[in-house]
Amino acid sequence: MNHSQFLVSGFLRAPIYNGIGRQINQLQRVTLKFCKSHGSSQGMRNFIENNLVDFAKQNDSVVLYVKPRRHRSPVIVAEYLNGDRKWMSCHNRPSEEILKWLSLLSLQAGDTEPIRYRKHWHTDVPSIQGPWNPFTHKNPGHIIAEYPHEGLGRVFKAPQSATEKLLKIAKKRNESENKKE
Amino acid sequence: MSSRQRVQQWATFARQWHIFDCKWQNPYESAIAIVKHLKGLHKPIYHPMNDCGDHVICINTKEIALPGNEWTKRAYFHHTGYPGGASWTLAWELHSKDPVMIMKKAIYRRLGNNLQRRYTMQRLHLFPDDNVPKELIENVTSQIRQLRVVPQRIDHIEKDVIDNYPKIMDYPTDYLPKTLK
Repeated sequence: MNHSQFLVSGFLRAPIYNGIGRQINQLQRVTLKFCKSHGSSQGMRNFIENNLVDFAKQNDSVVLYVKPRRHRSPVIVAEYLNGDRKWMSCHNRPSEEILKWLSLLSLQAGDTEPIRYRKHWHTDVPSIQGPWNPFTHKNPGHIIAEYPHEGLGRVFKAPQSATEKLLKIAKKRNESENKKE
Repeated sequence: MSSRQRVQQWATFARQWHIFDCKWQNPYESAIAIVKHLKGLHKPIYHPMNDCGDHVICINTKEIALPGNEWTKRAYFHHTGYPGGASWTLAWELHSKDPVMIMKKAIYRRLGNNLQRRYTMQRLHLFPDDNVPKELIENVTSQIRQLRVVPQRIDHIEKDVIDNYPKIMDYPTDYLPKTLK
């Protein structure tokens, strides 16, 4: 089975703004969805009761939404500055684990699911000359020439024919005879 | 994307127009060179999924040269689909019916069985002589070199060139050359 068929494809990229000026937290928004009565949301409810306010104070750039909904399992949805949306089930997860996952999500720069690279190369220093085009390294005279062109269409480096060889010998002989006279 | 980058992008992916003079050329040999340009294989940006093929104009297809006894021995097969609908046309017959067909079939076959083949063939323009419409010839910016030297016919050589051709000896004045029957 070709696993790469199921991978999302994309290009290698990084949030280039971080590291030049101030640090910008790439995590923008977190939605915590849970049920008020169901047992699978017990850990999430504990997290909201005990740790959520501290987490919000530590990460003041992150917008937090808490969304109760009946009889559905708990879920974290994290949205990033680059448009990525990470969905994560927290079914039967204890509150400590949810805190760990949340702090991990807040440190990441986007969805870190593996992607299939569309191109296997990347450059930080693109060419100064610019990309190739049909006329790079071409003689400009060839572009404005009249086509069909006699010389440009002829065989490249054709071997010398017997006729040419003969004419060359005759010319040489004529010259040497003229010198003698 | 700045306007300069945009134009550079157009230049890189622009379709180029080539011209090829089929005079005295082996169609099966020259198809290799033509197909390379039709598919865009000669470009550094080539990729099978990158639509970068060029246009090729083939002129003088009337004057192609088949090797050996191929004019009389090569047969082109066609079947109408009905019982008894098979037909074998010799190369010289086909060429007298349509002087473009042998060149076209040689290139079509060289392209290989591929979904892109029909679309690549649309970029090929064949002409039996050198009368190419002005709107096509004005696009041409490059010429594909011929693969074989075009021989010169003796009746096309000027008289003074023949008279001044180097000789080993002069025929005696009373010499009578053999006349052809």
